[in-house]
Amino acid sequence: MIMGLRLKILSGFLVLSLMLIVAGIWSIYHFHFIGESVQKLIDNNYQSITATNTMINALEREDSAVLLLLLGKWENGRSLLEKADSVFNQGFRLAEKNQTLAEEADLINNIKSNYQQYKKLWQLPIVGTSKENNLDWYFDGIHQAFLDTKASVNDLNLLHENELYRTSIELRNRANRATMPGIVAIITALIFTLMFSYLINYFMVNPIIRVINGITLFLKTGEPFNVRVRTKDEISKLVSSVQYLCSNKSEKPDK
Amino acid sequence: MRLHVIFRYDGLILLLNGAFLTISACISMFGSDSALFPLAYAAIISLLFGIFPLIFIPATYDISNKEGLVIVISSWLLSCLIGMLPYILWGGDFTVTNAWFESVSGYTTTGSTILQNVEALPRGLLFWRASTHWIGGMGIIVFVLAVLPNMGMAGMMLYRSEVSHHTMDKFRFKTKRAAQILISVYFGLTLLETIILAFSGMSVFDAITHSFATIATGGFSTKNASIAYYNSAVIDWVIIVFMVISGIHFGLLYAVFTKSIRRILQSSVVKYYLLALLIGVIVTTISNYGTQYSSWLTSLRFSAFQVISVGTSTGFATADTNPWPSLTHILIIFFTLQCACAGSTSGGIKTDRIILFWKTVVKKVRQFLHPKAIIPVSIDKSNIDPNVLELSVLYISIYLMVVFITTILLTAMGVDSTTAFTGSAATMGNVGPGLGLVGTVHNFSQIPAAGKWLLTLNMFLGRLEIFSVIIFLSPETWQKLR
Repeated sequence: MIMGLRLKILSGFLVLSLMLIVAGIWSIYHFHFIGESVQKLIDNNYQSITATNTMINALEREDSAVLLLLLGKWENGRSLLEKADSVFNQGFRLAEKNQTLAEEADLINNIKSNYQQYKKLWQLPIVGTSKENNLDWYFDGIHQAFLDTKASVNDLNLLHENELYRTSIELRNRANRATMPGIVAIITALIFTLMFSYLINYFMVNPIIRVINGITLFLKTGEPFNVRVRTKDEISKLVSSVQYLCSNKSEKPDK
Repeated sequence: MRLHVIFRYDGLILLLNGAFLTISACISMFGSDSALFPLAYAAIISLLFGIFPLIFIPATYDISNKEGLVIVISSWLLSCLIGMLPYILWGGDFTVTNAWFESVSGYTTTGSTILQNVEALPRGLLFWRASTHWIGGMGIIVFVLAVLPNMGMAGMMLYRSEVSHHTMDKFRFKTKRAAQILISVYFGLTLLETIILAFSGMSVFDAITHSFATIATGGFSTKNASIAYYNSAVIDWVIIVFMVISGIHFGLLYAVFTKSIRRILQSSVVKYYLLALLIGVIVTTISNYGTQYSSWLTSLRFSAFQVISVGTSTGFATADTNPWPSLTHILIIFFTLQCACAGSTSGGIKTDRIILFWKTVVKKVRQFLHPKAIIPVSIDKSNIDPNVLELSVLYISIYLMVVFITTILLTAMGVDSTTAFTGSAATMGNVGPGLGLVGTVHNFSQIPAAGKWLLTLNMFLGRLEIFSVIIFLSPETWQKLR
């Protein structure tokens, strides 16, 4: 392939740029993806985990409130139950609104039905009835409903925690995929630069030095200019021109 | 030595790799898998590094022996470096060490893997993995020689550096013609096996990748259980036949198509190769019958597959050989060291050298009895140069010494002795699996990182036949860089 010097040098820089640009674009794409994934992680999983924690806290408080009612403390118990119920509903609404995983709908429905059953039990009067101070009713009835509801909330929590872990692993791989092209590009660019500079030196700088030495020798001693280059570019044309000039000068020496 | 000449010829090799990387990237693109960028970027780098020297450096045909040797070895190293790029860029189990191991194992047609879950790899990467076998199987340089315009002396130098000395002796053609014959046999066998495997129940993708691995005597499978995954006697026997064929000198195989099958059967090397495999299969079948398999046919099927897989340095598996009787283990170790014929894609010491070794032993015994007699050594009615005999014995000695040293080093790294010895022998012979932790149903992931680097050196030494590497590393080769 016959190419001029400009094109050869340009091709070298183009190759170098292309390697860096492709690696750069790929790294940017992956870093952008990582940024999006982190946002998704916060939006999808973290919010749902917060919601489940809120629900679990509310359930614990409701359980304590039920115990207060069992002890006959109607006022404290009911006020605590109302507050905890409101907090639970808040958490539930958040989880319901933030459904991002396929299996989530079933778990939400499960929480809903379990909580409704649990709520039915503590909504009925406790103080002043046969249930007051009745530990059997507590352990066999309402506490079991509380545990079922809590377990269903925990299932949702576990689902999101697993998803969080999976996404974190994916993020680690993505980070690797984002940085590796950069490292590879740096190493290959370095190797390419060394090769490029060797070729420039061998096929451009060295012939020019040989031309200069040849001319100097010709001028000093009159030894014929005899430099040979193997490339077919401007340097070979320069050598032919100098050869032509020197042979002309030899034929017509200065008077 | 002229670096620019080496750059130019290495460029051609990189273009070849770039072409296969591009095909793999296309497979990845059509399958929309996660290996598209790693393969495409590696293809870009390979093609750019390949094209650039071609436009910068004028064609040179007068290359010296040393330059030929450096081109061949540097092209292997460069191919392995380029080959590891898709793995590193893809990530997963591939650390730098693992990617290098997998790449070297692919190109040298060893077939040892560090992957615990091969099936987790995307299709593009699986195809690339099989391609490294196929490119390396025929010897990268032979590939290039076959497709390039007439390279005259340059071609001859490269060919001499690439192929085994025994191959050169028995296969006297002009370089380009010889390379074209080798490639046409190689390509023809791959195509034939792909078609037969596809009709035997494999998917087309699996048929192609397994054919690449069989004809190259590589051993990379697309399945975790290797060929055992298919649980098909038909597939097993088809692969057995092609493994045996791939272990025969390709020049002789070509002669079968052009002349007659008698040509192959007249070759004492082939006769020995087939006889050794037959005895190995019979003894293993008998040993396994009753202890491992309840029927003779089943015992024959699994024993034949494993013996031939190791005896041809392929390395596929249909059974776990670890629980097999000790006698079969000894046979497996023998075949791991010996492997198949020179001029094939097989690794190991090669049957040709084993025959020369025994002929030398017989010659020396007769020499003791008749000290003044001149005793010529001949194979197939042609006399063998005493230098060739000496080199063969020396090669076997150095080969065994390397296996022994690697075994000691691996043991020092905490690897058990069975794993260390069979792992060293299997990588040196480019076989693939050994016994113990690197057995047929295991992989090399348990080997420490330093051990993996050591084993890749073994793979190179085995593939490049030791002497080339020694000359390449000698300071004299690098004395006059100009």
